[in-house]
Amino acid sequence: MGISIFKVIREIVIWISVFLLIAWIIIPAYWTIKTAFSRPEDAWNWVPSMLTLQNLISLVAPTVEEYFRGHGIRAALPIPISQAIRNSFIVSLTSSLISVALGFLAGYSLARFQYRFKSSIEGLIVFSYTFPVFIIVIPLLMIYRILGLYNTLLGLAIAHLAYTVPVSTLLIRSYMLNMPKELEDAALVDGATRMQVLIRIVLPLSLPAIATAFIFAFTLSWGDLLFSIILISSPEIYTVPIAIQFFLWGGEIVDPGGLAALTLFVGIVPVILYGFMQRYIIQGLLRGALKYG
Amino acid sequence: MRVRRKLNTQYLYILPILFILIFILIIPAIYNVWLSLYEKRVGGEAVFIYLNNYARLLSSPVTITSLVNTFIYAFTSVTLKLLIGLGAALLLASRFKGRNIVRALSIFPWAVPSYVAAVMFWFNFAREGAFNKVIALGGFAPIHWLGYDYAMLSVIILNVWHGWPFFMMGLLAGLQAIPQDLYEASEIDGARGYQKFLYITLPLLKPVMLTVALLSLIWTMGEFAQIYLTTAGGPIDRTLTIPVAAYRLAFMGEANISLAAAYSVLVLPLYLALIFITLRYMRI
Repeated sequence: MGISIFKVIREIVIWISVFLLIAWIIIPAYWTIKTAFSRPEDAWNWVPSMLTLQNLISLVAPTVEEYFRGHGIRAALPIPISQAIRNSFIVSLTSSLISVALGFLAGYSLARFQYRFKSSIEGLIVFSYTFPVFIIVIPLLMIYRILGLYNTLLGLAIAHLAYTVPVSTLLIRSYMLNMPKELEDAALVDGATRMQVLIRIVLPLSLPAIATAFIFAFTLSWGDLLFSIILISSPEIYTVPIAIQFFLWGGEIVDPGGLAALTLFVGIVPVILYGFMQRYIIQGLLRGALKYG
Repeated sequence: MRVRRKLNTQYLYILPILFILIFILIIPAIYNVWLSLYEKRVGGEAVFIYLNNYARLLSSPVTITSLVNTFIYAFTSVTLKLLIGLGAALLLASRFKGRNIVRALSIFPWAVPSYVAAVMFWFNFAREGAFNKVIALGGFAPIHWLGYDYAMLSVIILNVWHGWPFFMMGLLAGLQAIPQDLYEASEIDGARGYQKFLYITLPLLKPVMLTVALLSLIWTMGEFAQIYLTTAGGPIDRTLTIPVAAYRLAFMGEANISLAAAYSVLVLPLYLALIFITLRYMRI
């Protein structure tokens, strides 16, 4: 009898906690999601009187966006949103592809070879992983001005390597440490070169780690604001974190529907990417590959 | 000879990322020191001014304000994230219907990029926004969430909402690594629920807890996007934390790059100390 009462109390506590947890997650996100499908006049109502896809369509269709601009709702934004989204994609793709390619080589080197200064190099990588980049943004800007990398998408992608390279390298390295090396040794004995082994044997075997590293790297670059606002100045190469600020005018949100749709879109990209590999996230965390808490 | 050649090719694989990290992190960090010793006058050449920038910063009340604000912001946020993350991890480690759905949903706030979370909160902090609508249900008058009185609380809520799943994931992994027979053995000895928690769960979870808390502390102290997009350090320095102060010195007001460089050099030891404690603790 006593046990069943205890069980009932336990059930009640669990369900109240689950309810509170879900409310805590959903309520702050609800307004953005709802407004993305609302007409402007419904922006500040709990429930929209009718649903519309115009806001989301305006992110990719310049004609629909022209309508918003023509009515002065999105007047301050100097370029079409689709262009800012495209710029962000270019930067994040470039940065994550470079970091995964170089992280693959570095991860292999750290997992398989023994050499002097190896532990110092590992120390540097882990240090870079935790280092808050705001410290080096200003000198990097000055260096970029000298080198002509300032105000270029390539320069921004290179700066993002500060986030993406440590994560890619650490993830791929720890995966390779758990990978049997007999196959590689056999191929080397049979006369294959290191490069052949790397491309024919190691690359296919470590594809899961490479995919995971790519997703982490892409997301980290995609989520950057600091480097973008400091290293980019021309409107035609604005990325999303710069463009999104034009939706705030004198502290007031202009075009709430368009802003919410844009926010939903940039937010949902990493959510979908992480959704693909949920079970790897915890492993990634344990391998010291996650950022931002 | 053969050994020598092998060594060289082995270095070749690591060189690209080594070059990148040195180019993006190490050289700028050193260049920062050099920049901090100069003053760039408008339209003129940079002038060497010794430690004048540092003297200015040390006598400026803004330096103290930004340090104090950073500690308040980071310690409150990390504590709240730890508590919510621990609660959620314990909840998600117990069995109930729909657990996998709640687990997947729990990752959502953290999967959203930091600056996107800040923009989502524009809709919550607005006068007619979600938070005022929610408190109106309880009969409360609307609040100026980003006004002087509530700005710090607001940026902390935003940071906690975005960051707690990181703790949840780490602690859940830690909980699942605790051997079940410890609990079974303690049950045979007649341990109660809270005793199991106090004497088994907490001590065994402590290493993971410290690791995630230290990492989160470094990143929360370095958080820029969330504060920049919501309060930009205001009103009247109320939420001026270290990263925002560095940005403000460099690009707003007198836009003094050298002064901002000196400021970054000044706060660097704080971050370095924290990073070294963390890495030492993680034994990496």
